[in-house]
Amino acid sequence: MTFATDRRYTRRDTVLLFLCLALSLVGLFSPAAWSNGVAATLRGTVLSPLVWLQARAEEGRTSRVRFRAVTAERDSAAYLAQFLPSLRAENERLRQLLRLSHRLTTSYVAAEVLHQPQATDSRTLLLGVGSRQGVAPFNPVVAPEGLIGVILSVSRTSSIAMSWAHPEFRVSAFTIGGNAFGVVAPSIEGRNNEGALEFRGVPYRDSVPLGTLVLSSGLGGVFPKGIPVGTVIGTVREEAGWERVYRLRPAANPGSAAHVLVLIGSRGGDLAAAFPSDSLLEAIRLDSIARARRVDSVAQAVKAATQAARAARAARRDSLARTSPILGGTPTQQPAVQPRDSSRTSPILGGTPTEQPAVQPGDSSR
Amino acid sequence: MSSRRVTRIQLALVLLLLLVLQFYLRPRLGNARVSPDFLLIGLMLFAMRSGAGAGALAGFLVGLIEDTLTPARFGAAALAHTVVGYLAAWGRAVFFADNMLVNAAFVAVGLWVRDVIVLLASDTDHRQLLTELTFYSPIQALTTAAFALVVLMTFRAVFSVRLDA
Repeated sequence: MTFATDRRYTRRDTVLLFLCLALSLVGLFSPAAWSNGVAATLRGTVLSPLVWLQARAEEGRTSRVRFRAVTAERDSAAYLAQFLPSLRAENERLRQLLRLSHRLTTSYVAAEVLHQPQATDSRTLLLGVGSRQGVAPFNPVVAPEGLIGVILSVSRTSSIAMSWAHPEFRVSAFTIGGNAFGVVAPSIEGRNNEGALEFRGVPYRDSVPLGTLVLSSGLGGVFPKGIPVGTVIGTVREEAGWERVYRLRPAANPGSAAHVLVLIGSRGGDLAAAFPSDSLLEAIRLDSIARARRVDSVAQAVKAATQAARAARAARRDSLARTSPILGGTPTQQPAVQPRDSSRTSPILGGTPTEQPAVQPGDSSR
Repeated sequence: MSSRRVTRIQLALVLLLLLVLQFYLRPRLGNARVSPDFLLIGLMLFAMRSGAGAGALAGFLVGLIEDTLTPARFGAAALAHTVVGYLAAWGRAVFFADNMLVNAAFVAVGLWVRDVIVLLASDTDHRQLLTELTFYSPIQALTTAAFALVVLMTFRAVFSVRLDA
C-alpha cells in the first residue's frame, strides 16, 4: 500500500483498476445463476460474520419495535382496565334504572345528577331536568334501589332535589310486614351516624326486627306508597316506654347516584311492585324478609317462654297465697299458663302482635 | 514497531469499526436510504491515503460485499465502488485535499457518483433514477459527509489530516 505522501502512479495501479473493472463487468453480465451462486458462497463463508452482525441488528430493531408495541398494548389495557369496573357499575345502574322505569305505573322523567364538589353535596342534588320537562316542587326522586329525596325547587332546565340526608327531610313510612308505622328522618346523632336514617314514632308495642325493610307509606300525599326507604339495622333509643326509634340503612345513596327518576305523575298508587323485581334487590329484600321472619319467630318463642315462666311464678305465688292459712287462702289445682305458639303471635306470619316487650335487635338470641 | 506500522494498524482498526457500524448500527438507524454509508466513508478515507490501484481494489472489495449482501444487481456495486475508489485516490492527487471539509466533500461527491453508477448499471427506470439522484442521494451524501467529518475529527491522528484550513 502506498500512502499519499509518496504517491506515484504506476502500471500496477492501472492493471489493478482494469482488473477490478473487468471482474465487475463479468459479475454484472454473468448469468444470474452464476452470480447468485458466487454471492451465496461468499455469504456462507467469508462474509458470514457480517451476515450474523446484520441479523443481530435486525433482530434488535424488530425486538425494540415489538417491545414498544407490547408496551403500548399493555398500557392501553391497563388504562382501559382502570375504567372497566366503574363502567360496569354505571352500566348496571343504568340497566336497573331502565328496568325500574318499565315497571313504574306513574309518569316519570329521567334525570342526570350533576354532583357538586362540596362536602354537603349529598344533601341537595342538582338535577339536569326542570319545569320544561314537567318537573315540579315536591315530586319524589327515586333510584333503582329506593327513595332518594324530593324536588325542592325548579327552574326551567334544572332543579334542586332535597335528599334524605337533608336535616329537614321527612317521609311517612311503614315496615314491609305492615305492623309498624312511623316517620323516617335523617339521623341526628352526630357525625358518626351521618348517612343513616331514623325510623321514628314506632309504638313501643310494635317490635321491628333487624333486617326489616321500611317503605314509604303514601301518607301525606308527597311520596307514593311502596318506595323502599331503608332497612332496620338497630335501635337508636326508646322514648320513655311509648316509642322506639330504629336506625335504618338507607336503600339508596344520593352521593353515588348518577341517574335518577323524578316521579311527576299521580302519587296515589302503590309502587311496591316496581322495586323488588331486580334480581339483586329482590334477593336482598327476600333475604331481609326471611331474616325478619326468622328473627320474629325466635323473638316470639323467647317471649312466650318468658311469659310462661312469669305466669308460672305468678301462679305459684297465687297458690301459695290461697293455701297459706296465714294469708287466709284456699289451695287450688290450676295449671300454669302454657307457652303460646310463636306463629300465632308473629305479625308477619299472620298472628296478632303481643303487647309484651320484644327481644331487642342485636340480642344474642339471633 | 515503527510509527508507520502503528498508524497502519490503527487505520485498519478504524476501517474495521466502520465495517461493524455498517452492518450492526446502520440497520437500527431507521431509513436506510438516507442514513450514513459507513463502508463508503471507510473506502473514501482509505483511497485518499493510498494509491489508485489500491483504491480501486478496495472499492472492488467493498462493492463485492454490497453486491453479496444487498439484493441489487450483482456486479453493479463492485463496478461503482471500483470507479469511486480509483477516482478518490486520483482526486486526492489532483486537488491536494488535506482539509477536513474537502475530505467530507469528497465523500459526499463519491457517494453521489456511486449511486449514479449503481442505478444506471441496475437498469433503474427514469422516474426512480430522478427521485433517487435528486432527493435521497443528496440527503444520504450529506449525512455520510457529516459522519465522515466526525470520524476525521475523532481519528485525525490516524488519518494525518491537517487542521489549518
